Amino acid sequence: MLELLPFLISGLGVGSVYALSGVGLVVLYRASGVLNFAFGALGALGAYVAWTVLDAGLPMWAAWLASVATAMGLSLLYGWFIAPLLAERDSTIRSIGTLGLALVLMGFTEWYWGSSPRRLILPTDAIGIDLADVRLTGTRIISLVVALAMMAAIALLLARTRIGLKMRALANDRGLSAVLGVYVLRVDTVAWLLSGAFAGVSGLLLANIVRLQATLLTFLVIPAFAAAILGRLHSLPATVVAGLVIGVLEATAILLPGFAPFRTAVPFLLALLAIILFPNTQRLA
Amino acid sequence: MTELPPLKADLALRLRSVRRLRLRSLWQMLLVLFALALLLPLCANGYWIKTLVSAAAIATAVSGSALLYGQLGLVSLCQYALVGVGGWTALRLSHGLHWPFELCVLAAGIAASATGMIAGLPALRMKGLYLALVTLMMAGGYQVLISAMGFPDGGEGWLGRAQGTDRVLMARPALAESDGGYLTYAMLWLAAILGLVEWHKRSKPGRAWALIRRGEAAANAAGVDVLRYQTWAFGLAGFCAGVGGAILAGGVGQLDGRAFGASESVMLFALSVVGGVYHWLGVLLAGLLLRAVPALLTDYGVNGYLATMFFGASLVHALTTAQRGIAGQWLDGIAALSHRLRGSRVTPGVRHD
Amino acid sequence: MTNTLIQRGARAAALLVLLGAAMGASSAFAQNKPNCGLGNGKKATGEPIAIGAVVGKTGPDDFSASAASAAAYFRCVNDNGGINGRPVNYIVADDQWNPETASQVAAKLVRDNKVVAMAGSSSFVECGANAKLYAQEDVMVIAGTGVPRECFFSKNYAPVNTGPRVSATLVGAYAATAYKAKKMVCVIPNIPSLGNWACEGAKGWGKAHGVEVETLAIDPGSADATSVMLQAASKKPEVILLNVPKGIMVPMLAAAEQQGLNKKIHFVSTTPGYNSDVPKAIGPAWNNAFDLHLEFLPVESAGPDNSNWKAVMNAYADKDAPRDSFAQGGYLAARIVTDTLLKLDPKKLDRASVSAALRKVSGFKSDMLCKPFYVGNGARHNGNSSGPIAQVSGNGFKQIAACETAQEPELDDIRADEKKLGL
Repeated sequence: MLELLPFLISGLGVGSVYALSGVGLVVLYRASGVLNFAFGALGALGAYVAWTVLDAGLPMWAAWLASVATAMGLSLLYGWFIAPLLAERDSTIRSIGTLGLALVLMGFTEWYWGSSPRRLILPTDAIGIDLADVRLTGTRIISLVVALAMMAAIALLLARTRIGLKMRALANDRGLSAVLGVYVLRVDTVAWLLSGAFAGVSGLLLANIVRLQATLLTFLVIPAFAAAILGRLHSLPATVVAGLVIGVLEATAILLPGFAPFRTAVPFLLALLAIILFPNTQRLA
Repeated sequence: MTELPPLKADLALRLRSVRRLRLRSLWQMLLVLFALALLLPLCANGYWIKTLVSAAAIATAVSGSALLYGQLGLVSLCQYALVGVGGWTALRLSHGLHWPFELCVLAAGIAASATGMIAGLPALRMKGLYLALVTLMMAGGYQVLISAMGFPDGGEGWLGRAQGTDRVLMARPALAESDGGYLTYAMLWLAAILGLVEWHKRSKPGRAWALIRRGEAAANAAGVDVLRYQTWAFGLAGFCAGVGGAILAGGVGQLDGRAFGASESVMLFALSVVGGVYHWLGVLLAGLLLRAVPALLTDYGVNGYLATMFFGASLVHALTTAQRGIAGQWLDGIAALSHRLRGSRVTPGVRHD
Repeated sequence: MTNTLIQRGARAAALLVLLGAAMGASSAFAQNKPNCGLGNGKKATGEPIAIGAVVGKTGPDDFSASAASAAAYFRCVNDNGGINGRPVNYIVADDQWNPETASQVAAKLVRDNKVVAMAGSSSFVECGANAKLYAQEDVMVIAGTGVPRECFFSKNYAPVNTGPRVSATLVGAYAATAYKAKKMVCVIPNIPSLGNWACEGAKGWGKAHGVEVETLAIDPGSADATSVMLQAASKKPEVILLNVPKGIMVPMLAAAEQQGLNKKIHFVSTTPGYNSDVPKAIGPAWNNAFDLHLEFLPVESAGPDNSNWKAVMNAYADKDAPRDSFAQGGYLAARIVTDTLLKLDPKKLDRASVSAALRKVSGFKSDMLCKPFYVGNGARHNGNSSGPIAQVSGNGFKQIAACETAQEPELDDIRADEKKLGL
């Protein structure tokens, strides 16, 4: 049991970023009915921008700002110019549209920055708490805190504020909401901006915890989808818990004899299990 | 003999002409594919023959993906994983049991079909976005599985991996040993699969699918067993993927576990939509986009990632403006041209009484 | 009058100094002039000879430095009389790390372009995909870099580098001796023909020398380097041997540093870590604390052939073309093929005669290699099985141990072949 502890703690690091990404995905879905396949790609591009800013000698806050601003800006551009063209189509098509965005962003990032090995170093890497053979670095603690804080903030936003109400109305029925006086463009803007901000932050944290590599970061959105599925694409707390569980199980699975080469499949297996065991799909189709 | 009242006579006439047009389009398709099968090996050089074999194999898989999306509006993001399942089965049977090539292809199709149906069972009650997500999860899981397992290459044991011995290439059919001959063979399989899909579209399953697409309520009211026909569609799409995988394995000789990531399935779906899911020409175009265009760019030394950007942009374009894909735009262009040439004053698509 | 004398003297001295400097500069300039092929400064104008290469450029890593360096050498050869008057037409193809594409481009090079040989190939996937084609069409490949097992177990494929198995054996032997290790963990990607092969050499060496070596096969696509490092550390080794591409080596070292493992365990690596971007990427915590095996002598060596390689790159390659060990391999491969072709009759250069001549290559000397290179007639080729050890120092590397040759059971057939050739 004791030998599990280091992996449990290590898994919390990646798990918290899965949780954060999952919340970002669910928020946009609840506000606009679009599942953002480009979430990972936006984060990846933001992370590379942050690396370039740091490489140029600018301070850390500039890197964070540049990263989040890039992701938010691109997300907003998509939300303003392309998403409205698909607004009348069903949810699946609108989500597949973001897939096109993901391919464009991923291709650009790989082409522009190339494949030399890079590392995104954050100052919080150096500090940490030592617990039983493993060190929980400052970055991972921050990821955990940020994931929980942003989840709470978004939950409050959706439940208690006017803009949150309008976002939920828009997701429920776009046409009716417009008739009732909800400014569609403004609310959409907020939703896409929020999603972009989440993407930027997740991208930075993942690039630090995992690896600064565009294709990998783009497709790390798939385990984030798994967390979102476990949260039924609706409940934010469930998504956070799911993300953490996925991260921890993926890390501790390395100890299972024979299963270790397959442990990257843990997010997918969990998502499929959830779908089989809890087939209530009324909310989701 | 009483004459049919005018409306009914009109209807019978229209039905007859529709049937005639459809039969003609089926013959057109088969003719074009046979012509390509015979002419392409003669015109293309070594590099392009190999590329077109891959394009034909992928087009076979795309026909399944296009069927699911075009006929039923279902997004399947695991088609390339099913290609892998088919390829694995074909390689295992060929190396291990030395079955004739055609049997390996059929077995591959059946294996992928069964996998598609079993894996799709939980998803069958779902639509739209959830189906897309579930199939994406399956593709992700397959990626991990096949990266660790690898494909059979002549070795012993269940996995058939060669340890410490030479890797064996898959045995090709006796009449199609050379690359050119194999290209003809692959095109014939593509024609067979497309013919199978077209036959489905024109008979009972096709009508059931059209009703299901309108709405489950409408389908149920008409007495269509939705579950059965949806499963059938999944099975057929899986069969197309499996056959494609076997043809791909025979073409390259061996398959690599690292080339079957979830991203490949996603690209396959994306380019099916760009090619056009409502017509067989779209299927061919998607195969070319997936294999021939990157080969062309490689020939000219263009960075592969620029192609990825171009495909992403094409997908968005196809979804927003060109919903019938490139094939749709070409067919519209051909139709407009032929009408102009015939000097007809009848505008296509408008009903004249 | 004394002033004039002094002035004249000063002027004469200044002139002498200038002359001396000019002569020195011109001799230095003469030293920097690359020497390739016939070295006669005449442009080759005969019928071109087609030579090909397959590299993995677009994908998880960029291996194209090898072919870029070989291309520079061939351009130099073409400017210096070519192959007895005939220029080399060097065609490089990118297999995009996909075996399907690799077989397509190989078909293009072998069947459409009708190359007489391949030089400077450097790909992860093409050995397995194309070995049969090369054997069928009798094309010899003098590769700049080979990685998986198939590259070292093919009749027609002769890589100039040592390969990951030999590299791991050599760096493992060094680490076990230098750090008095009784237990080592070898980390390798779980890719077929690599995961079950490349760490076994170190294991075999360890068995004969009382050192336990455990293999840890990891999923290269995994996002979680920390768990891998924790798992390796949980086996309580004195040394962790990383036998992974530099793209995943850097995050592993980052994770190890974050966990403080670099203070408890010695980390060493095989050749992929020898790249000018790596010291900066891994950071100051690894200064003088990270050793690696080099397949050739260090990039900064002052030997004549190494200097010639740098001169060729400066004169004929792009400014941003990497000058790393891949490039060294490409240069050596190109030089081997050129020297072999120069010995043949330029009017009768066909694939059969070129392949036969390449198989006879033996005793090819270069100060970039620890021992002379050979190809031989065997069923497999591993002509380079030695190398020195270097260590990360500041923003670069420094050599810390001399050339050693690998000793492990799988190389027995290679040693037997070498004995027969009298090496």
